[in-house]
Amino acid sequence: MSEDTTARAEHPMAGTSSLLLDRTDVELHVRAMAQTPGVRFADFFGSIEDGELMIRLVWGLDREQEFRIVRWPARGTGYPPLSEVAPAAFVEECEIYEQFGVSPGKGRALNRLVIPPRAEHSFPRLGEAPPHDRPLPHAPHYVSGEAFEFPFGPVRGVGQESMYMGLVTSGEELIDLYLLQWHKHRGIERRLGGEEVARALFVVERTEGLSAVGNGWAFCRAVEAIAEVVPHPAVERSRGVALELERLYNHAAAIAALCQSTGLVVGQAQAEMVLEQLLRLNASVFGHRYLFGVLAPGGTSRAADVDALVTLLPPIMDSLRRLVDALWSTNSFLDRLESCGVVTPADAARLGLVGPVARASGQDIDTRRDHAFGPYGDLAVKVPVRATGDVMARMSVMVAEMEESARLTLDLAGAGLGAGTVEVPPATGSALGWCESPRGESLLWVDLDAGRIRRARVRPGSVRNWRSFDDAARSRNVFTDIPIIEASFWLTVAGLAR
Amino acid sequence: MTPEPEEERVAARLRDATHRLFGRSLHIRTVDTGSCAVCESEIRLLTAPHYDLHRLGLFFTPSPRHADLLLVTGPAIRAFDRALEKTYDAMPPPKLVVAVGACPLGGVYQEDEFVHGQLERVLPVDVFVPGCPPSPLALLQGLLVAVGRLAEKVGAESFTTLGDEEESR
Ligand code: SF4
Repeated sequence: MSEDTTARAEHPMAGTSSLLLDRTDVELHVRAMAQTPGVRFADFFGSIEDGELMIRLVWGLDREQEFRIVRWPARGTGYPPLSEVAPAAFVEECEIYEQFGVSPGKGRALNRLVIPPRAEHSFPRLGEAPPHDRPLPHAPHYVSGEAFEFPFGPVRGVGQESMYMGLVTSGEELIDLYLLQWHKHRGIERRLGGEEVARALFVVERTEGLSAVGNGWAFCRAVEAIAEVVPHPAVERSRGVALELERLYNHAAAIAALCQSTGLVVGQAQAEMVLEQLLRLNASVFGHRYLFGVLAPGGTSRAADVDALVTLLPPIMDSLRRLVDALWSTNSFLDRLESCGVVTPADAARLGLVGPVARASGQDIDTRRDHAFGPYGDLAVKVPVRATGDVMARMSVMVAEMEESARLTLDLAGAGLGAGTVEVPPATGSALGWCESPRGESLLWVDLDAGRIRRARVRPGSVRNWRSFDDAARSRNVFTDIPIIEASFWLTVAGLAR
Repeated sequence: MTPEPEEERVAARLRDATHRLFGRSLHIRTVDTGSCAVCESEIRLLTAPHYDLHRLGLFFTPSPRHADLLLVTGPAIRAFDRALEKTYDAMPPPKLVVAVGACPLGGVYQEDEFVHGQLERVLPVDVFVPGCPPSPLALLQGLLVAVGRLAEKVGAESFTTLGDEEESR
């Protein structure tokens, strides 16, 4: 083990540390970290550096307010099966195999993620293709005995994203569920390679448009760290306002979807009115309903309309409160949420979940507080935590977060908002950026070469949280609970499939 | 809640056209070929109280077999070709395709190994609704234009041809 002294060291950045490991020390390191309380598996990915595969593992040390980036050259031998010690790492193991052809030990069963089943060996990837693509482990199948697979997708309901859901059922009860998302793989990380940062930000925003600010800000922070520039505090506050507005409209949309999935038409209409008002607020304040293009490398591209913000937001919050009061006293609605789609606190920790889903399952984490960035150091963000891990807990977390977001928005606006950018000179090096998107921690690791992207790793919160969706769906649920659970997770397929 | 005058104007024209042409019902199927999830969000809002598509005689249907119009988002991912083709083929003629947003216009992704980049490469598109995303009001406008196109298609359709001739056309 050695401290970083190599030519391609991580860029020193407040709140991160980096470590270069020998391949032989990896297993020991992971075992030690996975057993340390308060250490969270955050990300795991490869990049080709000077022709060699370098593997990086990111740990969230939330109590120490630090992200630890550990890396080692994989050179031929690959790496030990980390998911045996840190189960959260499984999806990323599959990904590294698919994208770089390096597997964690021989004969491990890996899932196919984004490479379509009939894809040629030449299907574009980040590195070299594995000698054989693994067969689809979950081809639609009949389960012997009393269960069968109900195929749902990839074309799903009205206004829903494409995804294949294999629901294994005996008729009513859900026995197993798996997801295939290669229908939406757009090769985002691959197409970011070689781009200039401004153009890359355009793509990052559209990776998962419902977290455009969350992911975009994480990207900007990485780029700004490499170039060693810091936007003006008033501009950072504007970014904070955009981020909180993004959270507000997303949570409103989740509540509307919860009402829809439980057949509560009146509640749905009320929630959609709040949602539409919030989107119009975004348009009045920042000129775009979904806040695209607000961020720019080095700052923001637009000034916020503070008057619109402070006059329009409070009445919208009043409508929201009326809606939420009514929902909390509608027993037929609450009955559907209670004990539905449970994610236990142990699973939430084991799978490295983030955001509202993690907080509803007892995980007291929020990057705005634990890894404070931009204006959040001064704001004392209140983080709601619930213990039951069911749909009701997730809704309760979202409602509490909306109140907090409204408070933060008005506090930020009160402190004065600025616009404009500082110049971001074309720099070389790598850094990790992070942000608390509506779906939880977004991580963007960026490696620049004279201002152009060599490798960008995009890890939206959705990627982590889909990991527990099947567990939630299996836990004592029936078929018709699936849309309710999906609404309460409020993730995107776009963010997962990238 | 009072609708904006602009919304009312578009809505009234769309309602009249749908009523005249379809006896009060036009059915829409949506399909996502790789969107960023935001165009879906705007589409879902079409049935929300501010826009309320149903009052105009337009309905979403979960089945392509009942659909007159296919609302497509995304840059036409190649891996999705089969699913898109099956959805389109399952719709009875005459049928319409409305492409939603900058993605199917090629404004977000260039053609490459992952995506066709433009929906027109794989489906005959009747109307493009630009925007990233197009607002629900823009979508209503787009639907209005599409409904007019359908009138032309219905006019050109022969209702006396047999299945075989239909095939050879
Ligand atoms: S057109 Fe824009 S908003 Fe719509 S799916 Fe594409 S990137 Fe997203």
